[in-house]
Amino acid sequence: MSDVKKQVRSFVVENFLFGNDEGLKNDMSFLDEGIIDSTGILELVNFLEEEFSISVDDEELVPENLDSIDNVASYLERKRT
Amino acid sequence: MISSNDKLNINICKKCILPETFPGISFNDQGVCNYCRREEKRLEKIPEKKEFYRQKLDQLIAEIRGESPTYDVITAYSGGKDSSYTLKLLRDNYDLRILAMSFDNHFVSSLSWDNIHNVTKKLDVDHINFRPPWFIMKKIFSMTAKEDIFPAPTLLRASAICTACIGLVKSLVLKTALEMEIPLVAFGWSPGQAPIQSAIMKTNPSLIRQNQLALKKALILTNAKALDRYFIPEIYYTNYKDRFPHNIHPLAFFDYNEDRIVQQLNTLDWRIPTDTDTNSTNCLLNAFGNHCHLERHRFHPYVWEIANMVRQGIVDREEGIDKIYSKQDQKMVEYARKRLGL
Repeated sequence: MSDVKKQVRSFVVENFLFGNDEGLKNDMSFLDEGIIDSTGILELVNFLEEEFSISVDDEELVPENLDSIDNVASYLERKRT
Repeated sequence: MISSNDKLNINICKKCILPETFPGISFNDQGVCNYCRREEKRLEKIPEKKEFYRQKLDQLIAEIRGESPTYDVITAYSGGKDSSYTLKLLRDNYDLRILAMSFDNHFVSSLSWDNIHNVTKKLDVDHINFRPPWFIMKKIFSMTAKEDIFPAPTLLRASAICTACIGLVKSLVLKTALEMEIPLVAFGWSPGQAPIQSAIMKTNPSLIRQNQLALKKALILTNAKALDRYFIPEIYYTNYKDRFPHNIHPLAFFDYNEDRIVQQLNTLDWRIPTDTDTNSTNCLLNAFGNHCHLERHRFHPYVWEIANMVRQGIVDREEGIDKIYSKQDQKMVEYARKRLGL
């Protein structure tokens, strides 16, 4: 697993799953599975901005970019190239 | 090392007020919880962020003011302290064209209706009220009183009963904003209820659609028919795709002091209701919602919010303990239970 995925996974597990990562798959939808709610998505954005020194634009706040560990990792890769 | 609270005979964090029963909690040798330690860095940045969001709101309002054919902002208005103050802030600081929208869940206190009437009258604000039929709300509340139909992270911040009710409010307010082409949707979340980074957020069709699907999936379990009309119709995502508003909750970045807020609201003839529980200034169902949540999860549904406010220095720790660990008013619990036929 890439370092980026590990970092995102670790943030999600610590902040939304109370440290329990059992059953969390990298392609699992945060919203569909109730892992993160709409407020949590903004907390995730804040983490990405601070940790990866990026700025997430309003129009980028879409599930395609933020709704799973895989999606977040791909989004970060696109942002940073 | 950890403060023991006699009222519930439970250990709580020495710094905030989270109890040992809160999910994922651990304490260090000083009795401070992992959530307090995690929040330390974020707390340092709050003053800077508050300034940033105030400026962002100023800019946003400069852009949207007067552009809509109807209103500049729709405010979800419960008549409680925080949403009343939000309404006042928007009126006094920005002089916007405001539509206040209330949701009658059949448990709004009569004193709260007086407050709604007085505040909207004094502020010269247009006001609409939305009331679903009793049988629908009864079904939803009865189900959520008995079962947790929402994901675990959501239930850290609110009871299942409150989550269901607020889910409908958010949906209806957004639906109205789309229909009336209103560019701002305001909520009165306290600084402890929602993180500051969510204080100003542009909504978009795909994120809202996914949120709505998650809410629908949960509420459908209540078996309440005809709920569809309270959600965003599929066609709106394409027809109104350019109308999706900004959500704002200004109390996250304006000064927040409960005593001063009440003083200011008193000038609008708003009075603290005496018929609600200690965590609500408008709802007669809240005590029962808290009771059900406590029974099932062994932590109070408001403890996350109040612990955040204790950390931020907005609520005194002892006051926080009183709000959270005082016994629920049994009369209020029974009143709601009886009305729901449980």
